[in-house]
Amino acid sequence: MSPLPYIFCLPLLAALLIVVIPRNYKFVIRGISLLATFGSLVAAITMFCQFNGAPIMEGGFRFVQKISWVESLGINYYVGVDGINLGLILMGAAVAFAAVAVSNRIQTSEKEFYILLMVMIGGILGAFASLDLFCFYFFHELALVPTFIMIGVWGRGENKNFATFQITLYLSIGALLVLIGLIALWLSLPEGQRTFDIVALTEYFKDPAHRMGSGAQHLIFPLLLFGFGILVSLWPFHSWAPLGYGSAPTATAMLHAGVLKKFGLYGLIRIALPFMPDEVKSWMHILAYLCLGNILFCGLVAIRQRDLNLLIGNSSVAHMGFAFLGIASVSLIGITGTIMIMVAHGFLAALTFALSGYLYEQTGTLDMEKMGGLLRRLPFIGTVMIMAMLAGCGLPGFANFPGEAMVLFGSWNQFSLITVLAVWGALVIGGVYMLRAIRTIWHGDKAQPEYADAAGLWRKFPYALLLAGLLVFGCFPRLLTDPIKSSAEPLVRMAAGEGAKAVLIAPSDDVTTIRAATHLSK
Amino acid sequence: MNDALPWPILFLPLIAAVLITLFTQKRNGLSAALSVGAIAISFVISVILFVNAGEAAFESKINWLTVGALNIDFGMRIDSLSLLMLLIVTGVGSMIHIYSVGYMHGDPSFSRFFACLSFFTFSMLGVVLSNNFFEMFIFWELVGVSSYMLIGFWYQKSSAANAAKKAFLTNRLGDFGFLLGIIMLWSITGGLGFATLPKPGTTATVVGLLIFCGAVGKSAQFPLHVWLPDAMEGPTPVSALIHAATMVAAGVFMLCRVFDVFSLDALTVIAWTGGVTALMAALIAVQQNDIKRILAYSTLSQLGYMVMAVGLGGPPQAMFHLTTHAFFKALLFLAAGSVIHGLTNEQDIWKMGALKKKMPVTFWTFLAGTLALCGVWPLSGFYSKDSILAEAFKSGHLALFGLGVVVAILTTFYMFRLFFVVFLGKEKSQAAGHAHESPKVMTLPLVVLALMSCVGGLIGIEPFVGKQFGMTESHETLAIIAPFVHAPVAAFAGLAAVMVGFLAAMSLYAKAQTDPLPAKLQGLAILLRDKFYFDELYARIIALTQDALASVADFLDRWIIGGLMVRGTQGTTELVGRAVRFVQSGNLQFYAFSFAAGVAVVLYLVLYR
Repeated sequence: MSPLPYIFCLPLLAALLIVVIPRNYKFVIRGISLLATFGSLVAAITMFCQFNGAPIMEGGFRFVQKISWVESLGINYYVGVDGINLGLILMGAAVAFAAVAVSNRIQTSEKEFYILLMVMIGGILGAFASLDLFCFYFFHELALVPTFIMIGVWGRGENKNFATFQITLYLSIGALLVLIGLIALWLSLPEGQRTFDIVALTEYFKDPAHRMGSGAQHLIFPLLLFGFGILVSLWPFHSWAPLGYGSAPTATAMLHAGVLKKFGLYGLIRIALPFMPDEVKSWMHILAYLCLGNILFCGLVAIRQRDLNLLIGNSSVAHMGFAFLGIASVSLIGITGTIMIMVAHGFLAALTFALSGYLYEQTGTLDMEKMGGLLRRLPFIGTVMIMAMLAGCGLPGFANFPGEAMVLFGSWNQFSLITVLAVWGALVIGGVYMLRAIRTIWHGDKAQPEYADAAGLWRKFPYALLLAGLLVFGCFPRLLTDPIKSSAEPLVRMAAGEGAKAVLIAPSDDVTTIRAATHLSK
Repeated sequence: MNDALPWPILFLPLIAAVLITLFTQKRNGLSAALSVGAIAISFVISVILFVNAGEAAFESKINWLTVGALNIDFGMRIDSLSLLMLLIVTGVGSMIHIYSVGYMHGDPSFSRFFACLSFFTFSMLGVVLSNNFFEMFIFWELVGVSSYMLIGFWYQKSSAANAAKKAFLTNRLGDFGFLLGIIMLWSITGGLGFATLPKPGTTATVVGLLIFCGAVGKSAQFPLHVWLPDAMEGPTPVSALIHAATMVAAGVFMLCRVFDVFSLDALTVIAWTGGVTALMAALIAVQQNDIKRILAYSTLSQLGYMVMAVGLGGPPQAMFHLTTHAFFKALLFLAAGSVIHGLTNEQDIWKMGALKKKMPVTFWTFLAGTLALCGVWPLSGFYSKDSILAEAFKSGHLALFGLGVVVAILTTFYMFRLFFVVFLGKEKSQAAGHAHESPKVMTLPLVVLALMSCVGGLIGIEPFVGKQFGMTESHETLAIIAPFVHAPVAAFAGLAAVMVGFLAAMSLYAKAQTDPLPAKLQGLAILLRDKFYFDELYARIIALTQDALASVADFLDRWIIGGLMVRGTQGTTELVGRAVRFVQSGNLQFYAFSFAAGVAVVLYLVLYR
C-alpha cells in the first residue's frame, strides 16, 4: 500500500472532522490535528525509506496513483513521487507537524484556526505530490487562501492589516499569472493532445518535433517565470515576504516560508524550464541578475533590521536568491543544488520562525535592541537558534551548505561574476547579519527577567525535529542528491536543449585534456 | 589495518563533544574525563600510526557527494605532513586539555567548555586529515565556528562577544577567497584533489592567491590580522591551543599541503605577506602591556615567519617552525595563564613583578619558553628559525633575510621586556605580593611542554617532513651543530640578533617600574601602542562601504519598493475598486439604464457596421 495518499489526505480528513466537533472541545481539536500531522509525518518517513525499493512506474515516478476525475476535460487525480518532490514532501510533513506542535499559543477561535491549518497543510503536501496540472494548481490555491485568512485574523503587530493586504495582493497576482500561463500552455497544445497530465506533457515535449512554437513560448514563459517568481519572492517582488512573515502567526509563517513558498521553484523546475527550452536561454540571464537582488540587496537590507522577524524574513528572501541562481544556471549541479536548498531552507525557515515565535511569546517583543544576554535565561532555545542562524550563514554540517555549494559550483561557468558576488553574499553578508543578531539577542550582559525555557522532551521535540532534518541532510547530502539528480537529469537535458552535454558533465571543455596532461607529468 | 586507524582519531573527539552536550552538562568530572580521554586515545592511535607508518602515504575515503562533474570525497590522507600535524594537535592538545581541568575549575559552564574544546579538536583533525580541497573547506569552516564559540565562551562579557564576532567575520573574508579559489580550481582541472594542478599562467597565480586568502584569514596575516589579538578574550587554554599552537597554524599547514598549486608569482606575494606581518606584529608587541596580547602579537609575528618560509619555497622549514612554535608558544600561554590564575585574573604586566620566588615552576618553564622563542642555541627555536633564515639567504632573498634578522632582534627584545617586568624586579601591585603557584594539574603540562621546547629542534622534524617535498638532508654532521656548518651566516646572524635584543631589553627593563620607552620614542611609541590604527581604519572603511550600502538598500526597500510600488498598486486597485463601486451602486434605474444602453450599443455594432 502506497504511503503517499496518507501524507496529504490525513490533514484534509482532520479538517473535515474538526468541522463537526464542538468548539469548546479544544483539547480534542488540537489532539486530532497533532495526530493527523504525526500520521502524515510517519507516512512521509516511511515513503522516504521505501523510496529506493519501490517500483518505478511511468515517467520515473514511484508510488503512483491515478484515478479519473473529470473525464470531459481530462482532469485526473494523479499523484506520484520522484527524486525532486521526495525531499520536499518529507520536509513539508516534518514542518507541518512542528507547526501544529508549536501552535499551543493560539488562544482565540481555535476551531477555525486548526481547520484552516489542516487545509493549508493538506493543500501544500498535495500540490507537491500532484502529477496533474489541475490538481497541482488547485491544491496550491487550497493552501494559499487559508494563509491570507490566518494572517488577517490571528496575526500580530501594528502592520498586520497592511501586511495581509500586501501578501494577498502579491500572491494572488502571482497565482493569477501562473493560472493564465498554464491555461495558455494547455491551449497551445494541438487539439487532441490537450492534457493536464504532467508526465504525459513531459514525454510529449521531450520529442523535438513537438517543440512549442516560439510565439507561444515567448508569451507563456515570462508569465510562468514571473508568476512563480512572485510566489517565491523574486526581487523586486519580494517586499510582501518579510512584512507578511513578521505579522503572521507562527505556524503560518513556518508553513508558508518553509513549504508553500517552494511551490514556485518547484513549478519552474518541473514545468516552465523543460517545456520551453527556447525561452530559457534569453530569460536565464535576466533571472541571474535578479537573483543578485535577492542575495545582495535583501542581504544588505537584513543587516539594517532591528525587528527579528524582519531580519529572518529578509534573510529567507536572500536564500531564495541562491535557489534562483541554481535554476538560472540550467546545469545539473546547479538545479540539484536548488532542490537541496529548497528542502534545507524549508527546515531552516520553519525552525527560525518557530523559535522567534517562542521568543515573542516569552519577551513580548521582537525588537532586538531590547533583547540581549538572553542565552543565560533560555539556554535551549538560544542554542538551537544560534545553530539555526549559523546554518543560515552557510555553515557546513547543515543542509544549506551542500545546497549552496552546489549552486555556486554549478553557476560558475555561466555566470562567473554573479557567482563571485553570490559567494560574497553567502559568506560575508550572511555572516554579518546572522552574527549581529546572535550578538544582540543572545550575548552580552543585559539584565533580563526570568523567562521560561522550553522544558521537557515534548516542548523541545518540534525544534529538535527540524534541527535534525538540517543536520542529517547536511552531513549525508547523498540521501537527497542521489534521487534528485537522477530525476532532475532528464528535465535539465530538456531545458538546456543543445548545450545539454556540457551542463551535465564537464565543468569546462578542456578538462579531459588537462587531466590527461597531469597524468602524463606524474 | 592502517586504513581504518585515522577514522577513530577524527571521530572520537566528536563523539565526546556530542555526549557532553547531550548528557553530561551537569556532571563536570565526567565531561572532563570524556574530553581528555577522547583526545588522549586519539594521541595514542596517532603514535601507533606514526610507528607503523613506513614510507608510503595512503588514503582511505568514501564518497560524500556526486552530481555531474562535481565529485566530492570524504577521505583521510596519511603522509609525513599529516602525521606530524596529528601528533602536534593531539599531543599538545592533550596537555592543554589536562591543564584546562585545573584552569577552568569552578567555572559554571565547565562542561560546555570541554564540549567546545572537543569539537574544536575534531574540526582541527579534520583539516589535518583532509584529502581534498572541499573537505578541507568544510573543516576549515568548522574550525572557524569552534574558535567563535571558544572566544565567546564568556559571552556575558561584551568584549568577548564582540571579539568572537570579529574573529568569525574576518575569517569569513579570507574564506571568501578560499572558496572562490576552490571553485576556480575545480572548473579548470575538473577535480578537487590536492594533486590536480592548474596550467601555469596568470589564472594559476590568481587561483593560488585566492586559496592563499584562506590562510591569510586563518593564520591572521596582514591585512586580516586584526582578529587574533582580540581573540585573547577567550579563556587562556583556548588562547594556547587554538590561537597559538594549532588553529592559527592551520593556514600554514594548508599552504604546505597544497604547495603545488602556487605559481612563482604567487609564492613571492606569499613570502612578502609573511615578512610584512612578522615585522609589523613584532613592532606592535614592543609596546603592549597585556601579557596575553604581547604573546598574541608574538604569535602573529612567528606565523609571519612560517608563511614567509612557505613563500620562499620551504614548506619543511615552515612545518619545522610550526612544530617548535606549537611547543613553546603553548607553553608560554599556559605559563601566562598560570600567572593570571595566580594573580586572580590580573593581565597587566606593570602590575606584576618578582614572581620568580612565588611561582618557581612557572618561572623556570616560562624562561625555557622565552629562550626557545628567542632562538637561543641549542633550544628548539634556534634550529627552526635558523632553517628559515638559511632558506631566505640561500634563495637570494636578501631583503627578506634582513627583515627576518630584524624581527629576531625585536622578538628577543619584547620577550625579555615581558620576562624582566613580570618575573624579576620589584612587586608592582598588591596582587603580585599575594601570588601563589598553580596546582599540579596545571604545572605538569608546563614541564612536559618545556622539555619539548628544549629538545624539539634536535629530534629530526625537518627531514621527516622534508622527505615529502623531495628534500635530501645530509646526515654527516652532528645535528646539534649542523646549522653552523651548513649555513654559518644565518646561524651567527640569528645568535647576534638574540644578543642585541637581550642587551637592549636588559638595559631598559631590568629594574624598570614603568615603561621608559614612550618617553624616548614619543609619537612612534603611541603608534605602536595603538597598533598602527588598523582597527580604526577598517571600521571607517566598513562604515563607508557596507554600512552605507546597507542603508541605501534599506531605504530603497522601505520607500521605493515597499512604499511607492506596493502602495502605488494599492492606490490603483483602490481606484478600480471605487470605479466598480460607482457602477455597482445598487440603484435599479441605473442598472436598467445601463442594460438598455448596452443593448443599444450591441445592436448598433451588429446591425450598422
